[in-house]
Amino acid sequence: MAAGTVVLVAALATACGGTPGASQSSVNTSKEVQKTGFDKLGPVNLTVWSYDNQDPGLEPVLKELSANFTNKYPNVKITMVFKSFNDLVNVVPRALASDQGPDITEGNQGYQTDAALVKARLIIPLDPYIKAYGWDDWYSDSTWSIFRWTDDGKTFGQGPKWGVAQTGQNVAVFANTEKLKALGYDPANMPTTFDDFNAMLADIRQKLPKNEPVIQFGNNEGYGTIHMYGGIQAAYVDPQSVRDWIQHVPGSSYDTPENIQALKTYQEWASNGYFNSDYNAKKYDQSAADFGKGQGVFWMGGDWDSSIIKAGLGDNVMVMNIPPGASGTWASIGATSGPWHISAKTKYPDVAAAWLDYVIASPEAQKLMYAQQQIPAIAGAETPSGDPYLGQVAAAWQQVAGDDGLMLYTDWASPTMYNTLASHFQNLLAGKESPEDMAKAVQADWEKFDKTLK
Amino acid sequence: MAVSADAAAPAAAADAEVEKARRATQRAPGEPRNVAWLYILPGLAFYLLFTLAPLAHTVELSLFDWDGLTPGRYIGFANYREAFSDPLVRESFRHSAELIVFYALIPVVLGLLLTALLTRHPVRGFTFYRTALFLPQMLAGVVVAQAWVWIYASDGPLNELLRTIGLGSLARPWLGDFSWALPAIGGIGTWVTYGLCMVLFIAGAQNIPTSLYDAARVDGAGPLREFFAVTLPGLKNEIVVAFVLTTINALRSFDLIYNTNQGGPGTTTYVPSLYMYQNAFVYNRVGYAAAIAVILAATIFALAFLVIYLTGRGEER
Repeated sequence: MAAGTVVLVAALATACGGTPGASQSSVNTSKEVQKTGFDKLGPVNLTVWSYDNQDPGLEPVLKELSANFTNKYPNVKITMVFKSFNDLVNVVPRALASDQGPDITEGNQGYQTDAALVKARLIIPLDPYIKAYGWDDWYSDSTWSIFRWTDDGKTFGQGPKWGVAQTGQNVAVFANTEKLKALGYDPANMPTTFDDFNAMLADIRQKLPKNEPVIQFGNNEGYGTIHMYGGIQAAYVDPQSVRDWIQHVPGSSYDTPENIQALKTYQEWASNGYFNSDYNAKKYDQSAADFGKGQGVFWMGGDWDSSIIKAGLGDNVMVMNIPPGASGTWASIGATSGPWHISAKTKYPDVAAAWLDYVIASPEAQKLMYAQQQIPAIAGAETPSGDPYLGQVAAAWQQVAGDDGLMLYTDWASPTMYNTLASHFQNLLAGKESPEDMAKAVQADWEKFDKTLK
Repeated sequence: MAVSADAAAPAAAADAEVEKARRATQRAPGEPRNVAWLYILPGLAFYLLFTLAPLAHTVELSLFDWDGLTPGRYIGFANYREAFSDPLVRESFRHSAELIVFYALIPVVLGLLLTALLTRHPVRGFTFYRTALFLPQMLAGVVVAQAWVWIYASDGPLNELLRTIGLGSLARPWLGDFSWALPAIGGIGTWVTYGLCMVLFIAGAQNIPTSLYDAARVDGAGPLREFFAVTLPGLKNEIVVAFVLTTINALRSFDLIYNTNQGGPGTTTYVPSLYMYQNAFVYNRVGYAAAIAVILAATIFALAFLVIYLTGRGEER
C-alpha cells in the first residue's frame, strides 16, 4: 500500500515510455509551407490547450475564432481545452511527449517550461512560418527575444523563434476613483514619481479605517507577489538589468544594493498595513473581483484581469503604471500572454500555423480581443475609440512598451525560481526574512541554475 | 511442493528415475498444488505490474539525473545525498510528523469517543449518524479542499462564528497565516479521517461479547471503567489498523495541500509528496523526485511496521 505513493512518479515515467536514455524524436524538417486549401486534407482534429481563461479573459475570443476557422474549413475540428496556469504548465511537457498531447499549446517563457520543451524537441521552431506569413513585424526585437532559444534550450533570447503570443501583458495599477475622490485626490492628476506615489499610499493608510486595505492583494498561488513587486523593483532597478538577469547574461545579480532597497520598500508596504491581512489565503483573480466590489483603493496586477474589475466598478476605475523612480523610465513587470507553440508530433503543423495567424493577426481577432478588454500584442493594432477605460489599459501597455520598460517575469530565470520567489516574498512580507537574506537566497537559486547552463 | 526424502533412497537407477517422476506429479494430501498459482495469478499480476514494477522503476529512476524528457544520466546515490542535506526535505518531513497528530492521533481518539457514545445505549437514528459522520471519507479531496478554503476564508463561516460568539480576536485568514496554516490543514485531515476510525471501531465493538459488558456492569463498573476495561482492549486490532491506515494517509497527504496552499505561506505547509510533485512536474527533476518518493515510501513502511510491532508484541497473530 505504501508503494502507492511512488506510483505517481513511476506511472508517469512508464506512461511516456521514459526510461532514462530513451532516444528523442527528431524534428520533422518542413517542406514548403501550405497556407490555404486545408479543406482538401480530409478530417483534421486539432486540440488546443490554453490557460487564458481568467473570467473571461481570452477564452470567449479563442472559442469564437476557432468556430470561425471551422466555418472556413468545415473539415477542421478544433477542440479547445482550458486549464489553470499551474495545471497546464506542470502537465504539458509530459502531454506533448505522449501521443495524446495537444497539437497547439501555450507554454511559458523562461527556463521552467519553454526551455524544457525546446531541449526535448517537443515543439517546432516557427521561423518558416514567420517568413511565409511575414510575422516579423508583429513584435519589436526585444519582445521577439522572449520566444528565442538555442536548440539546446540553454541560451534564452538567441536562436530560433519557438512561439508567438496574442496579447500584451502589463502589471498596472487600478484605482477606485470614487474612493480617491472621497480621500481628497484627483484621479486626473495622479503622482508621476514613485516617491510621490509612495507618500500617497502612506497618506491614504492614515485616512482609511484600519480594517480597510489600501491595496487589495491576492497571493494564494504565489504569483501575486511576483507581480506586485515588479512596479517597486522598476522604481529602483534598471529594467535592462532585470531582463539580463532573467536571460542569464553573465555578471547579472539580484543581490544588489538597489534591489535590496526595493525589497525594503516592499516589506514596508506590508508592515505599514497597506494590504488586506488575508492576502496569502486569497486567490489572484478573487482579489481582482473583491477590488471590483469596492474593497481597497488600489489593485496592482495584470491588465488581463481588467474585465473582472470593470464588471465590478464600471466607470469608477482608472488605470496607470506605477510611476518611475529617479531614472524617469516607465517600467513594469509584463511581457506578452503565454507563447503559443506547435507540437512536434502534430500531423498538421501548417493548419496549426494558419490557426495561429488567424487568432493573432486577423481583424476579427483584434476586434474580439479589444471587446474583452485584452490588448493585442502585435504592432499596429488600433485601439477602438469610445471606451476610455480600454484606452487607459492600452495606453498603460504602450507607455511601458514604448519606454522599453517591460521587465518580463522574474520567475522565468530558473526552473525553481517561481517557488523560490513565491516563498521568499511571503517570508519577507511577514517580516520573517530580511531583504538582504532574501536577495542572497534568490541569487543562490539563480547561480545554482546558471552553473548548469555552462 | 517437494520431492520427499525417500526418493533418494538406494534403488536401481532406472526405477529411481521413474519413481522420482511419479512423485513429482503427486503430493501428500493437503499439500498445495501448482494450480494454486493460477488462482492467485490475476491478483499477483496486477500487484507485480502496478505496484512492484513501478516501485522498482522508481528506485532505478532515483539513481539518474533525468528531466523526464531527454536522455538521463546515471549519477549513483547523488540524489539521495542531496535529499538528506536539503533543508526543505527535512522541513517537509517535520510537517508530516505534525500532520500525523491530526490525521491519525486525534481521529482515533475521536473515533473511540464516538464509538463509546453510539454503542453504549441504543441511539435513535444510529444509522443516520454513522452515515453522516462517515461521509467526509467518501468525498473527493478536491471537493473537501474547496469547501474548507471557503470555511477558512477571512469572511468565511468559521470566522463569522468566532465573531458572533465574541471571539473575534481569534478570527484570522487561517490558510494564509504562518502559524495556523498547517494546523488548519490538519483540521481538514481530522474531519476527513475520523469517520473511517469510527466505522472501524463500531464494527469492532459489535464483535465484543455482550457478556463482557454484563459482567462489568455486575461488578459495578461505570461507563468510564467499562470503556477502559472492555471496549478499549476489545478494539485493539481495529485501533492498530486505524493507526496504520491514517498514518499512511498523513504521510501521503497531497491533495488537500495542493488544492489549498501549495506549500505556502512561505514553506509552512510543504510536505514530502508536494515537494516530490514539484520536482517531478515543475522543476523537471524526475530523478530527484524519485529519490524523495523512495525515502517517503521507506519511511511509511518503517512507521507501519513500528506501529504493528509495538501494538502487536507478545500477541499471537
